Amino acid sequence: MPATTIDSMVQRKLIEILRILYENHHPIGARLIADRMNERGYPIGERGVRYHLRILDERGLTQRQGYDGRVITELGINELNNALVGDRLGFIISRIEKLIYDTTFNLRTGQGNVIINMSIIDKNDIERTMDVVRHVIYSDYPVSPYIKLIEEGTVTSDIRIPEGKVGLATMCSITIDGILMKSGIPVNTKYGGILKVEDRKPVNFEDIIVYNGTTVDPMRIFISKKMTRVLDAVDKGSGRLLANLREIPASALSEARIILESVMQSGIGGIAGIGKPGSPVFDAPVDNGKVGIAVYAGVNAMAAVEESGIQVNTSPISTIIDFRELKKLE
Amino acid sequence: MNEIMFIISKIESMMYEVTFDPVKGNGKIITNLSIIDEADFKEVIGFLRQAAHSGLAVSPYIKIIRPGEKIGDVRIEKGKIGIATLCSITIDGVLLKAGVPVKPKFGGVVEIHDGLPLRFTDMLTYDSTTIDPLDVLMSQELTSITEMVNTGSGKILANLREAPMAARERIEQVLDSLIKAGFSCILEVGEPNSDILGVQVGRDKLGIAIIGGTNPMALVQEHGIDINTQEMSLLIDISEMSHIDEIK
Repeated sequence: MPATTIDSMVQRKLIEILRILYENHHPIGARLIADRMNERGYPIGERGVRYHLRILDERGLTQRQGYDGRVITELGINELNNALVGDRLGFIISRIEKLIYDTTFNLRTGQGNVIINMSIIDKNDIERTMDVVRHVIYSDYPVSPYIKLIEEGTVTSDIRIPEGKVGLATMCSITIDGILMKSGIPVNTKYGGILKVEDRKPVNFEDIIVYNGTTVDPMRIFISKKMTRVLDAVDKGSGRLLANLREIPASALSEARIILESVMQSGIGGIAGIGKPGSPVFDAPVDNGKVGIAVYAGVNAMAAVEESGIQVNTSPISTIIDFRELKKLE
Repeated sequence: MNEIMFIISKIESMMYEVTFDPVKGNGKIITNLSIIDEADFKEVIGFLRQAAHSGLAVSPYIKIIRPGEKIGDVRIEKGKIGIATLCSITIDGVLLKAGVPVKPKFGGVVEIHDGLPLRFTDMLTYDSTTIDPLDVLMSQELTSITEMVNTGSGKILANLREAPMAARERIEQVLDSLIKAGFSCILEVGEPNSDILGVQVGRDKLGIAIIGGTNPMALVQEHGIDINTQEMSLLIDISEMSHIDEIK
């Protein structure tokens, strides 16, 4: 949420005062600092500046010199260089990173927490929905067969199923990022996109949205804009599937391949393609020194349900759940 | 191989094409082209007028393209009508041509309370998406333009750009001349280095929030009328546009 907190405002003022001191080679006092602050759009008085200076002094970032003059310390200059890096807006990536951290699924034991997408449908639509989901899961595209039905009226801290509705949890492909991360591979979940397939093979991404530039989930956007053609892809071999792309360091590729092999076997998710170092994957750009891994999204089955005219409300990358609670859909 | 292109590239090339001079009142502007059914025309114009009078349009100038007529690469089919309305990126083009290095950042949803903008509640940055953010947000049922028009409180589409604080005076001059030319779309101009509508700006920058050009179309859509809008699709000379109150 891009809300301003008092703390972040104090933080920004502290940094701004450090900048003013840094730009001044001579010690300057609170009144002069206050004037400069006002020029830069921070409404603050002399007393306010003194209050902030006291905090900076305590942290060792500034130092008193002479009568009421301040200078920036070595530590202060370091702080200035690192400041505000983490001070960014609450984009979807923040939720992804939290859930990746909470993922504990172990490929060897087959136990632990995985990330799920939550879809809510009308109770009366459940049979038709399951037919479509089964149709997609047992097609030529690797989509995880693990699901969980959640009864009406269920209320937990993460899940809320209204009366007359049923929840359907599907495996979220971001679980793979969690598994990679817990194996010590730094993973950067980068894009959600629409992947065009022809002859049942992925061709190229037609549209992509970067996870750290949006507050609305990309998959949700593509589904509600009716951009998917999952049923066409399943029935005719050509269509548009949801997929996402993550980057890992090129040096970790051989280890990642072994993990991804085992991910496929355990039915957690399906890899659409692995790129070459620094090269685009299905036309989606990848940074130098990185390798892109495209994975079919777990929500494809639910996108197909929506395509078949059933009303669904899907929240991708919803929450974590113990893998034991999921059942393989036969 | 066809390279994936983020929307910021399209925005910047459109900004470059803008030649509109708000003082002289001539030159080229960027428009969104909406296609509607001929049968809905009267009703749609009614909503567009309502939006313009509530300050929810970039400007009250529009252009009607009749069935069979061609505009740009688009020919309007029989039974359809095209309506070109101003796109807010025109403002970025005008600032750019006035020598202000302006950087469009994102499209988002702004919460309005009793006529005053409160904060951005959702956003999509222009360098992170291949589809237009306002188009995306319009289809997410996140807006309540109708409520805004009727009560003065609601959620509308808006976008944000940053400019260097050193250019502040020049920016104010340009925005003043735009307001005089009938562009009532400026939502808020932030203080240097200060949050604007709850969003941080870059170092030594100030933010400028502007009403999204697709708000009138979102209003039409909220009333269940089919409207197909292509954002930033056409460059038109301002002299070809007419005031919405003159349209019958």
